[in-house]
Amino acid sequence: MLYFKNLIVAGRTAKMMTHALKQNMPKPAIDSATGFLDRNSCFAKIAQLASLSTPDQPLTLIWISLDRFKQINQSFGHHGGDEVIVQIAQRLKNKAGPRVEWCRMSGDEFLCIALNCEDAEKLTDDLLHEIEVPLPLGDLLLHPSASLGMAQLSALEDPAECLERADRAMNTAKRAGGGRAITSGDEPLPGRMGVHLAHHELVVENKLHLALQQNALRLHYQPSVDADGRIVSVEALMRCAGHDLSPAEFIPVAEKTGLIIKLGEWSLFEGAHFASRLARAGYSIPVSINVSRAQLATAHFSQALHSALLCSGVRPEQIELELTESLFMDNSMAIQENLRAAHRAGVNIAIDDFGTGYSCLANLKDICAGKLKIDRAFVVALPEDKRALSVIRAIARLGDELGMQVVAEGVENQAQLDALKQAGIHTIQGYIHAHPMPEESLLSWLANRKSL
Amino acid sequence: MTTGINLPSVETQLERSLWEIGIPPRPVILDQISTEMQKDEPDVHHLARIIAADVALSASLINITNSPYFGFRGHVNTPREALMVLGLNVTGKAIAGIIMRRAFPSSPHLERFWDASARIARLSGWLAQNVTHNKLRADDAYTFGLFRDCGIPILFARHAGYAQILNVANHDAMRSFTDVENDTLPTNHAMVGSMMAQNWWLPDETINAIRYHHHIEMLDATSIPPTLNSRYNIAVAQLAEHLLQRHSGLSMTQEWVKLGESCLRLLNLTEDDVSRLLIDAAPVIKSA
Repeated sequence: MLYFKNLIVAGRTAKMMTHALKQNMPKPAIDSATGFLDRNSCFAKIAQLASLSTPDQPLTLIWISLDRFKQINQSFGHHGGDEVIVQIAQRLKNKAGPRVEWCRMSGDEFLCIALNCEDAEKLTDDLLHEIEVPLPLGDLLLHPSASLGMAQLSALEDPAECLERADRAMNTAKRAGGGRAITSGDEPLPGRMGVHLAHHELVVENKLHLALQQNALRLHYQPSVDADGRIVSVEALMRCAGHDLSPAEFIPVAEKTGLIIKLGEWSLFEGAHFASRLARAGYSIPVSINVSRAQLATAHFSQALHSALLCSGVRPEQIELELTESLFMDNSMAIQENLRAAHRAGVNIAIDDFGTGYSCLANLKDICAGKLKIDRAFVVALPEDKRALSVIRAIARLGDELGMQVVAEGVENQAQLDALKQAGIHTIQGYIHAHPMPEESLLSWLANRKSL
Repeated sequence: MTTGINLPSVETQLERSLWEIGIPPRPVILDQISTEMQKDEPDVHHLARIIAADVALSASLINITNSPYFGFRGHVNTPREALMVLGLNVTGKAIAGIIMRRAFPSSPHLERFWDASARIARLSGWLAQNVTHNKLRADDAYTFGLFRDCGIPILFARHAGYAQILNVANHDAMRSFTDVENDTLPTNHAMVGSMMAQNWWLPDETINAIRYHHHIEMLDATSIPPTLNSRYNIAVAQLAEHLLQRHSGLSMTQEWVKLGESCLRLLNLTEDDVSRLLIDAAPVIKSA
């Protein structure tokens, strides 16, 4: 949670700094352990040097936060922790040379303020590697690491803003697991740049990263059942085990941060392996896997798909990709090429959340999809909403005419089921048949049905 | 997690993870390590006991910790000491590397492949310390060397004609190795290997380095992902492979022809440096 705490501090940083600038700090206060300026004095120093900053040699700020310092304190006591801080501070100072100002921003955080720095990225890298040199502590050799964020003052920029950027970059480095340096504006996750996450989203993002490191991501499976009680397919849905994180929380955040690509590739691989296990257990039921826009837009989507098929040994027709309707209308070359590649690979394609996007019905006939999934918004409105029912009836007809299977999602009760049947929809996914279940539960659910 | 008498033996976990279908699943012990890492007070003793229950694993872990090529010139005798010296993070990487080979079914014609990976890993660890001046951590370089080509044995097992494809890719001096594979499979060992690394939740840099290790544009790029760390990994392992081939006089691939120049540029080395390294690294190369 360290980075998260820092972020709140960062918001405050700007205010404190403005305050300090107005105040004309009389004399700088020094941190006794390291000999660095203390946090309050740093603002005045930044302001002073910022006035000397030029576009050729801009002021460089490097925010350094030691990783897992809490653990060091706990393992070696506060005395040991202090020892580490002093040694690292000394090393940093020696490495950067005399023309650099240093501040201690908090217990385990330093700020490097450099003017006339020839290569700021190199300095940042050098500092990171300096920290990572093993450090003797008692009988043991400690392997410290840190997260660094570097920002350079741009013309007309408020120094406080620059400091915040350095802090944000450091937080990004921390979130990526620490042990790295990131330049502000150069944050590596696709989609992460310029994305502002709200407070609660940051909490979710943090939890999600922890969960991934602990291998807590799971797929649960929800069957769709046709009028004869046959299992048409099972949809794979991502769940986070034991981290108090619902998919409604983490999926939007993953989409915002670009993490969805990694999650999507994992699902594809895991889902294909599950399909293979299902087949070995004697069920030839396709597994339906959700694919996001970001994932479908990657250059290597088709390779990832073929890797999943090849490694799992599953037949392509046992895999179904669920894509939202807007993707079929997308002008991106990569997306269209990947859709064609998926079709060529022989996997099934389903249009997810149908009816709420802006599909061009004329295009529907050209789409290589074999299944339409009616958005749950229509189902929820049943049986009272006659207009929703009309739309559903129309979709049922459309599907029939185009030779596509039509599925209704989110069906919870008998009244909805009856209304759907009347409208001509016979394949149903929803709590009325089964909740999404972990693999073992699904296998016993299937076995129970068989024996009925 | 309780520390009762019935410690889960790593051996049974391995049995469970035997390679029935698909790729070898993530070893359970990696979950246990990351669970401990998230705790305010990690229970190192508990982990040490789990590792110690598996004699072969403990021996390999101690071996690696004491190996100069992993970057830790330790003199540890027990898994507990190894854990203390390496820290949980690095221990996780070390164990992933050790278990990976065991997670594959043993097969005589893959022995040579694994031996070659191990040699590349050791030399990469040495190069990280001597060429990149620890800009790339030796343990990262070592682990990457082991995992870099793990897609190859998977594809061998999964695709009957893979030996033939590999042969063509090894001899093609123009097209990238993975492009040759893509033409037929249509995927490649780098993609497959990176997906296995992803399923094992290895660090993003390792995943990216595996995925792009035949992409020349990844070595030449300056500011786009993958990170510098991934690029150093790729270049160091490629250089290690080249040195080993020069030493043995057997060059069975065209990779250095295609990627060598970019690797040297990234590592800031000249051809003369490479000749010098060949001499300096001789003890490492001969050590196995």
